[in-house]
Amino acid sequence: MSETHIAVGKPLQRIDGIEKVTGSAKYAADIKLENMLHARLLRSPHAHARVKHIDTSAAEELPGVRAVATILEVPKVIEYWFSLRTEEKKKQMFLRDNLVRFIGDPVLALAADDRATADQALSLIKVAYESLPALHDPFEAMAEKNVKIHKRGNVAFKFEKVYGDIQDGFKNADIIVENTYRTSKQKHAALEPFGTCLAHYQSNGKLTVYSSTQLPHWSRHYLAGALELPLNKVRVIKPHTGGSFGGRCGLIHGLEVMCSWLSRETGQAVRMSFSREEDFIATESRHPMTIKMKTGVTKDGILTANEAEVVSDVGGYGTHYIGVLADCLSTGVGLYKIANYSFKGTAVFTNKSLCGALRGYGNPQMNFAQESQMDILAAKLGMDPLELRLKNYREQGEIDPVLNDEIRSNGLKECLEKGAASSCWEKKRRQKPAKGPKKRGIGLAIVLHGTGAGKALPDPAAATVMINADGSVNLVTAAADEGQGNRTVLAQIASETLGIGFEKISVSETDTDTTPLDCGTHGSRQAYGGGLAVQAAANEARQKLLAYAVKELGVNGDQLRIEEGAILEKTHPDNRILISDLMRKTQIEDMSVCEQVIGSAVGVAPAMPGYYGAIFAEVEVDIETGEVNVLQLTSAFDVGRAINPDLVKGQIIGGGVMGIGFALTEGLLVEDGRIMNSSFADYRLLRTCDVPEIVPIIVESHEPTGPYGAKGIGEGCMVNVASAISNAIYHATGVRLTDLSMTPAAILQGLKPG
Amino acid sequence: MKKVPIKIKVNGDWRELAVSPGDRLIDILRDQLDLTGTKEGCGEGECGTCTVNLDGKAVLSCLILAAQADGCTILTIEGLQKGSKLHPLQKAFVSEAAVQCGYCTPGMIMAAKPLIENEPEINDSKIRQHLSNNLCRCTGYDQPVKAVLKASRERKENNDV
Repeated sequence: MSETHIAVGKPLQRIDGIEKVTGSAKYAADIKLENMLHARLLRSPHAHARVKHIDTSAAEELPGVRAVATILEVPKVIEYWFSLRTEEKKKQMFLRDNLVRFIGDPVLALAADDRATADQALSLIKVAYESLPALHDPFEAMAEKNVKIHKRGNVAFKFEKVYGDIQDGFKNADIIVENTYRTSKQKHAALEPFGTCLAHYQSNGKLTVYSSTQLPHWSRHYLAGALELPLNKVRVIKPHTGGSFGGRCGLIHGLEVMCSWLSRETGQAVRMSFSREEDFIATESRHPMTIKMKTGVTKDGILTANEAEVVSDVGGYGTHYIGVLADCLSTGVGLYKIANYSFKGTAVFTNKSLCGALRGYGNPQMNFAQESQMDILAAKLGMDPLELRLKNYREQGEIDPVLNDEIRSNGLKECLEKGAASSCWEKKRRQKPAKGPKKRGIGLAIVLHGTGAGKALPDPAAATVMINADGSVNLVTAAADEGQGNRTVLAQIASETLGIGFEKISVSETDTDTTPLDCGTHGSRQAYGGGLAVQAAANEARQKLLAYAVKELGVNGDQLRIEEGAILEKTHPDNRILISDLMRKTQIEDMSVCEQVIGSAVGVAPAMPGYYGAIFAEVEVDIETGEVNVLQLTSAFDVGRAINPDLVKGQIIGGGVMGIGFALTEGLLVEDGRIMNSSFADYRLLRTCDVPEIVPIIVESHEPTGPYGAKGIGEGCMVNVASAISNAIYHATGVRLTDLSMTPAAILQGLKPG
Repeated sequence: MKKVPIKIKVNGDWRELAVSPGDRLIDILRDQLDLTGTKEGCGEGECGTCTVNLDGKAVLSCLILAAQADGCTILTIEGLQKGSKLHPLQKAFVSEAAVQCGYCTPGMIMAAKPLIENEPEINDSKIRQHLSNNLCRCTGYDQPVKAVLKASRERKENNDV
């Protein structure tokens, strides 16, 4: 690896930092258009009902009301982009019927001159519902024969997969443990509420939608499908976004399609913004899962078999239910070399708010089960949990059986070693229990998470690099930056590849009219998949640039290098030309040429490299109150290559805090289909005073297929936090918790004798 | 509904406005004055994203009626820099990588400003206490807290702003 990088590996300041600290960065709700209307949704008070009749007459007579659209006319998008692959599948993406499937499900939207009028008009709508039996529990829904939440029944998706011989595997085990784990309905709780959109259908037949989506190009497909418009007549612009974490991985239920519909009806721009309560009750959350897991190990600590049965609670509508369930399998099988592995997964509709993608995508649930099992087995074997991991993890050079691809980089061992040293693992594992009610413990958990989705879903990436006459560069990409800083990382990759300073790179707006097809930001993919496209585009531009310099300097291309805005002969550095002089000459001065240097790349990443991590959590548990205080989290992650170490650390620390929330405080509480904690007062996010020190450790294994060796980080760093904390609670108290969130009441219950 | 006339000094300029009795301070900042740097995260006073300074104190602009601000001096994120010169907090939030999505950032900075101006001895724990009403979902708070500490030191060294 060359040590003379100009941009890669440097903690450069993010390209949108100044905009964001001065208040000039525009988010969807900050954009105003002339004669803009304000839309509001009427939501179902029933968990399951048939809409018999909607009377909108009184509302439509109210001055200032411009249009009403109901679910009887406007389709919902209920699948994700995998379904775009065939016309037949695509038809199933859009649902239009008269059923409402959870409390908060949209029934209609109306647009008025101002929000107050829209609110008043909503109160004048009369809806006749026929209440239907509601199914709140996935097991009940699976067994139910008469009540069907969707036409095809209550089982949304089901699959089984077996590797090896599971019976044989358990036969060879000396110790077998079996437990059932349950996980909570975590909410993304991005600070910018989900559900702000501004749609403008103009008289020329073109629809422009400002949406905070993570997937601008797929969202264009969804909108074109729902409104039956050609793709080139739909333009999606993604402004700055106040965090997404997977929840904007497509369109928001009832938002963009409704807004666009109302705009087409009125010819005016239409804005809709959900309140925080609407965000909590009616946008996607993490799938709660029940995971039954049975694991066998020899007395030497070699895993022989693992059996997992997963039931995933989808809520009223789908979107990501297939991918999330499939990822439960891939992250489980990929992490450990267990020859015999059986997986049964069922995703079930219930009459609760819908679930979708949330940082980790099934992995936090599965990891909690798998890593708890490992800790239990280690205790039964009398073995250090770290040693048990080292004996069984799938190493570099092995084949990942799910991806059927080689593991080309795996820095897990280094993560474990560095994390153990930094957290004083050995010393703290041996420490004697303290006197008094406060007991300390330390636990660990490891993780594998995939980068991108190229083996499972259409996952295109593209970029264009244009060098200007003054030597500055425009990088054109649809990479959606939700705040993680991927546009900065892509600019670093362009800078490095071109040999042109980072400050000279300008990154385009995220706009489907001006950027080539990109899958969007999901699956921790942008630095990797997006980065590969940028690297290839920049490389093409660099070759063209050098070809012009060859003519100008009279030496072969391999004799040239690029340095600080100039191209020069390696052995005679005085033979040089400024890039700006060369580009001005080729673009403007030499009228026989008039050509801008442009490099472009489209394609899909060649692999889905796993990134790995080890988290060590130290906790203090008060056995009188059951309260858990996380004292320190040490998070060591193999990211292949940290293109921007500051941004990587930001992910690890932020992911750590989201993981502590998943472990201890977060989760929507649903009673009879009604969400009981739909505000920040009741849904407890961690605050400044609640968070422990988080020690981020970056490990660089160099992924050979990645740009400069990079792979992902965004999701994995939150996945194994809850598992590590649970194992630490066990070390501190001897109480094994199997349900998330791990509440003081559950700990006190576990401490009860007998 | 009948409008109420108010006069407020916003980012250095006196503004005369007609407001509805139900308008919140955040509504007139964002809708009437186009100061959209102040964000709304919950509208219930729980997240801190709408924090502005009113007569030098950090307040939640979603919990204050516009009419209540009559005669007051308001500072929003847009009024923090002097010309092209950024406030030490703004500089530190960028240099310490304390900004991710940036939605909580204006509120976080406006909450921190009175603290670094009024508190002579500032440390990690005091910053955390003071910013405990400001939620952030991206950063995990470590880098923002370090940024406030850095800005406070810079301010002291330069004895400015």
